[in-house]
Amino acid sequence: MNNEKTPLVVFAAGSLIIPFDHLEKGFEARYPNIDVQAEYHGSIQVIRHATELHKPIDVIATADASLLPMLMYSSIDPETGIPYADWYIRFASNRLAIAYHPQSAYAKDINSDNWYEILSRPDVKVGLADPRFDAVGYRALMTYALAGQKYSCPTIFTDMFYGQFTFPLGIFSDGLITTVTVPEILETRPDSHVLVRGASVELIALLEAGEIDYAFEYESVIRQHGLKMLKIPPELNLGEADYQEYYSQVQVDEDFQRFSSVKPVFRGERIGYGITIPENASHPEEAELFIAYLLSPEGRSIMAGDSHEMFDPVICDQPEQIPSSLSSACQDHNTE
Amino acid sequence: MNRRNLAFNVTFAILGSLIVIFIVLPLISTLLSTTPAAFLQAFKDPQVIRSIGLTFGAGLIATLVASITAIPLAFLLARHNFRGKRLLEAVINLPVVIPHTAAGIALLLVFGRKGILGQWFSPLGLTFTDNLAGIVVAMLFVSVPFLINMSRESFALVDEEYEKVALTDGATPFQAFLSVTLPIAWRGVLGGAVMMWARGISEFGAVVILAYHPKIATVLIFERFNGFGLAAAQPIALILILVSLVVFLLLRILLLPDHKESK
Repeated sequence: MNNEKTPLVVFAAGSLIIPFDHLEKGFEARYPNIDVQAEYHGSIQVIRHATELHKPIDVIATADASLLPMLMYSSIDPETGIPYADWYIRFASNRLAIAYHPQSAYAKDINSDNWYEILSRPDVKVGLADPRFDAVGYRALMTYALAGQKYSCPTIFTDMFYGQFTFPLGIFSDGLITTVTVPEILETRPDSHVLVRGASVELIALLEAGEIDYAFEYESVIRQHGLKMLKIPPELNLGEADYQEYYSQVQVDEDFQRFSSVKPVFRGERIGYGITIPENASHPEEAELFIAYLLSPEGRSIMAGDSHEMFDPVICDQPEQIPSSLSSACQDHNTE
Repeated sequence: MNRRNLAFNVTFAILGSLIVIFIVLPLISTLLSTTPAAFLQAFKDPQVIRSIGLTFGAGLIATLVASITAIPLAFLLARHNFRGKRLLEAVINLPVVIPHTAAGIALLLVFGRKGILGQWFSPLGLTFTDNLAGIVVAMLFVSVPFLINMSRESFALVDEEYEKVALTDGATPFQAFLSVTLPIAWRGVLGGAVMMWARGISEFGAVVILAYHPKIATVLIFERFNGFGLAAAQPIALILILVSLVVFLLLRILLLPDHKESK
């Protein structure tokens, strides 16, 4: 019987669901005594499951590595008195793109120059992940803020979002940085052409069912589902190393004063996926094996097979804290 | 009471109490672990109040809309035997056994923007995705068997002779139904409607697929729990439990005479 297996609880970003499912199968074949129990949510929710719901989680993988210091280094586990995490490995990037369908409205007309105009039309239904819970959500807002600069058309953001929510999104610029503000309660109006869901992967099914015409998604996810993809320019897709400076001109502020002590501010940067082992993991050794497997040639080829290339080498934050079995995979941090 | 009866009754009472404790314990622990301040704050939260109003209202609309067709169907099932009746009854009860997320997907394919009915309704300005109409449809689908079944049982208890007398006295079948059958069977029908409403307002799976917005109470609790944590979700959960309890208790009191008569 297999009832002696060690459970390994993995909480990961929704955009990793397909590659991590394959990774799980490969890992369990290699280590038959470990049973990976994976759950997928929007990246912020993934972390909240550890820091606020106090679930015992062995591996946390988010689509935004910066969330780990912001929400885990800074919050103290009341049971142990130490932070929930003190290191992470930035292992992959991604690019933002627009997923659609051959039957989507104006599918024949859309291109990488007119997308923002077509998406703003009232008869075009656009899916957006909730920026309060999912990294695609606030990254799409960054793309919109950056688009206003790139196309020298400051109304791109308001053309898309004005009047769509009961409490509006805000946008303002101080000349250096453009800031988007997200209200605490984000609810679309009944006749809105924007559809919001908690996680970006939930939008895929709605796209396939024809409920929405377009959705902001990661390139890897669009490829995995075989959907049509409209690439957006490098200044806007948040995936190019060369545009790090450019991306940092925007930020998204979230207003969560009621429910959380942390008031998240997301600064525009190149997309980076982060993985760590929480300090209260029940099975830290197995968790190390899992991350080592991800970083191994086999893990890399599984990720690449699902259109999600990893960094080579990966980048480590707080390398002195990283478990020794993993540190060999890291180069020094901050040298992307 | 002799000793054997006593032993029997005590055994059954103990076993019965276990299930009562199982039901009551989570409710009480929700009550005790919510601070009064958080509870009051949730009561002042406009999103919470709006959401509960929306939930109860949508459940009511679903029940009223369903009554128009479910009550006649229940009457036919109570009065007539025909080929395929068993199959029909099985179909009517399907929504009870289908996983509700699956029901949500099935409804999306029919009432969605590109769905069979959704396409027809959208030129009339009626859309279902992320709309009140979607919530009503989802609630109706999963909860209508309660109304049909309880009404059918209630109609079956009405002696057909009364209807025949009314008919020989010159009443039309419509008049006989409205002035003879329904006045006798109303408690069971109303009880079915209450059960349907209660089942509707507690629905999550089917609604969340068709209409995430506007958020009914179950969706709001789910979102607060997942997005903001236990402390944010608990007060709303408690409000929903308490309000449901009060409403249900009131209706049970109104309907209670029925229980005495039918024994």
